[in-house]
Amino acid sequence: MNSPQLEVRNLRKSYDDGRIEALRGVSLSIAAGEFVTISGPSGSGKSTLLQLLGGLDTPTSGEVLFQNAALGTAIGLDSYRAHQVGFIFQAFYLLPTLRAIENVQVPMLAVEVVSRDRAQRAKALLLEMGLEHRLYQYPNELSAGERQRVAIARALANHPSILLADEPTGNLDSVNSARIMEMLIGIQKKRGMTLIVVTHENDIANSAPRHIRIRDGLVVDPGEGGHEA
Amino acid sequence: MAIGAFVALVGFSRSFEHEWARLYSSSGTDIAVVDKTFLNTSVSESIGVRLRTVPVVAQAEPMIFNIMDLTPDVNALVFGWLDDSYEFDALTFLSGGRFHNGKPEIMLGDMLAGNLNKRVGDSLELQGSAFTVTGIFHGGTALEAGAVIMPLDQLQQLSSLQGKVSGFHVRLRPAPEGEAQDHYLERARAQIEAALPGLNAQLASERASNNQFVALAHAVAWGTSSIALMMGILGIANTMAMSVFERTREIGILRALGWNRWSVMLLIQVEAVVLGVVGGFLGIGFGWGALRLLSTLPQTASIVSASLSPLHLIEALGIAVLSGLVAGALPAWRGAHLSPVEALHHE
Repeated sequence: MNSPQLEVRNLRKSYDDGRIEALRGVSLSIAAGEFVTISGPSGSGKSTLLQLLGGLDTPTSGEVLFQNAALGTAIGLDSYRAHQVGFIFQAFYLLPTLRAIENVQVPMLAVEVVSRDRAQRAKALLLEMGLEHRLYQYPNELSAGERQRVAIARALANHPSILLADEPTGNLDSVNSARIMEMLIGIQKKRGMTLIVVTHENDIANSAPRHIRIRDGLVVDPGEGGHEA
Repeated sequence: MAIGAFVALVGFSRSFEHEWARLYSSSGTDIAVVDKTFLNTSVSESIGVRLRTVPVVAQAEPMIFNIMDLTPDVNALVFGWLDDSYEFDALTFLSGGRFHNGKPEIMLGDMLAGNLNKRVGDSLELQGSAFTVTGIFHGGTALEAGAVIMPLDQLQQLSSLQGKVSGFHVRLRPAPEGEAQDHYLERARAQIEAALPGLNAQLASERASNNQFVALAHAVAWGTSSIALMMGILGIANTMAMSVFERTREIGILRALGWNRWSVMLLIQVEAVVLGVVGGFLGIGFGWGALRLLSTLPQTASIVSASLSPLHLIEALGIAVLSGLVAGALPAWRGAHLSPVEALHHE
């Protein structure tokens, strides 16, 4: 196994003054360039784990390490999200007042890409997603599948090393689901990125070389080839 | 509206001050001698004798000014002068001529005469007494154009100020060769105050800005504008707070995409400033319109000119920007400190 790109150690996350424990001591590691799926029933803590891996939230205890540096202390969360992580959400989360090409440029504003480069890069990404005729459409003028493709282009805007997808096909029909997963896997292979997909769909969960199962805030199976740290 | 109130009210008070400055300047008055008390309403007319003996004084004219209701709709500044005052030099008679001391006669500024539809020889009633119009004049300022000028003794009677005057307007002798004008004015002021203890010798420019009418106008304008600005700031703050609340999820998206807190704060602050500046421009238009309207109404035309200085406009825009920054500060801070996860899940 390659050296871990992401490592979590005894990760705990609780809400409501400790009354709700979403994660109860998760430890695992993920190598650079791995394609990993995380599945589990509703409320198992899989989305919480993804949020902590992406630096969207901070753990109650334990730590998340990116290339052996602790998030939130050795690496700032804002900088980590801006430079290393691309997010894809079930609900797309496109900004409704911006056109597709403008939505893709939003993450670039966080890393101060010059205006002309922003537009060129956004256009290239949307072309890669097969959206050459939808560059200037607003999100409400796009189909669900097209919105998710815009969201994937946006996630790739700052050339992240990790792609995190939280139920990326949850709002899509089967045809679009298959197409989106095909795209994500293609991107992961082509760019050598780490791809972590949270899903409750078995087909998708089993499509990855490594499938982590989580239940009641604990890892019950770290996946074939993987291991608990 | 707050910026509009600022532009209109402060513009009004400054225009009023500007007109006073022009009034002194056009008549050649260098110094005004008044009582030292804050509401320096009157001084004894007899001190004129001593004042004229001060070496730097060329001429010293006793005068009274007041504001009177001429009709239920029209009020005007009323000046009381001696009939040989040097202040007549600044006036141009369009018809008729000067009044005479001791007689119930008055002169009307051309704008006021027009508003009242009075001509030379007509009669005008002031405080229950009839006065004959002896002249219609054009002065250098809006104050004069809308003013009544009458014999000092007649206004003393109307104002129950027998033996008293509002002050003296003084023309100085020319400054000695080699002495700077500013230095000479200060020396003259000191000389007059030394000769007349208890009285205040104010340079004409100072008097224009701090006579009781102007001081009152400034106080009312700034007081009312400040209240309006506070209301405006609260309005922008409320709008921005609502905007941040409604866009909580968008803020969460931005944070998830790597925007740091400062960038989110900057975005909200820029929106607040833009809101303030757009409101500021609308307010300037509104204020300018209000000033123009005031300058045409008979009730206010004599004390308002529809002019706005560039400095005043810059101040108004500066206040608009500042208001936006102040109003946006708290919503921006709150928006920037939202948890990305909670913000993303906001309904």
